Amino acid sequence: MLGILDLLGTIGGNILSLPGILGLALGMMTRNWILAAILGALVGVFETVVFAGFHLGEIRSLDFAIAVLVGVLASSLGCAIRHRGATV
Amino acid sequence: MADPNDKPTGGLIRRLWNGFWSPVAAFSVGFIAIGGFLGGILFWGAFNWSMELTNTEEFCTGCHTMETNLGEYRETIHYNNHSGVRAICSDCHVPHEWQHKVKAKVIAVKDVYHEIMGTISTPEKYEEHRLAMASLVWRKMKASDSRECRNCHNFEYMDFTIQETRAASEHQRAIDENMTCIDCHQGIAHALPPDYLEEYKRVTEELQAKSEPQSGKTDDVAAIRSYLGALPN
Repeated sequence: MLGILDLLGTIGGNILSLPGILGLALGMMTRNWILAAILGALVGVFETVVFAGFHLGEIRSLDFAIAVLVGVLASSLGCAIRHRGATV
Repeated sequence: MADPNDKPTGGLIRRLWNGFWSPVAAFSVGFIAIGGFLGGILFWGAFNWSMELTNTEEFCTGCHTMETNLGEYRETIHYNNHSGVRAICSDCHVPHEWQHKVKAKVIAVKDVYHEIMGTISTPEKYEEHRLAMASLVWRKMKASDSRECRNCHNFEYMDFTIQETRAASEHQRAIDENMTCIDCHQGIAHALPPDYLEEYKRVTEELQAKSEPQSGKTDDVAAIRSYLGALPN
């Protein structure tokens, strides 16, 4: 039970943190899907490293994977918004 | 992008959707940017304010099932003390860092579920679950190096000369042996269940077993000593 909640909590935390918000914003800055996904993934990596206090040994692989995944999804959503809502 | 010259067709939702994605000719970019910025501040302020409301003692103890916790906590030094500093529920159970805080709030949904289901609605049921509940909290605290304790307490800020001899000695041991607050301070705010020491040992051993393959450290002190002893002087 706590395992699922832990997972949901991590996803929620990432959506409302840098990967979700900055990822979405960066995705909205480009029409290139690949670039958007890369930017989102980079935000996920950056956020995980910063929150671990730059101690790579303290990074949990699950947290890292979720941060990158949320970053990619958020930036892809941002890119979709750019396609749908802008002519440039 | 939707064409603004298209005549609105379909139902209300469809028209709202099309309108949402239509370009605005009446507003400048600056107007939209400033409006979006202000809207963002308002939204974020309201969001944070609402989240902080869920950190108050009144909110935490609003549920019937929290009455036992509250009664026990009110007997402790974290509630009433000579300095007048109080640590409320959220100070110990909700992380300060944004990421961890949101995670804790999502996980806290289970408390609402158990309140509705009446999992710990009677003293008997509460005692039945006390060990399991304590165990979950210990696991979180041990895994996070007692992060929430360290929001207020820090070994570096402690003056061992004005601590009781036993406390000073134990705190020095904790530093030397890389221990964390919860290793000794279980039951600091709530009553301890029977067999808590065995359960805490089980929790720490489980966590240690999980972290060992990642660390790659060797703790075979005997082998190291033997190797060093065999070296020529």
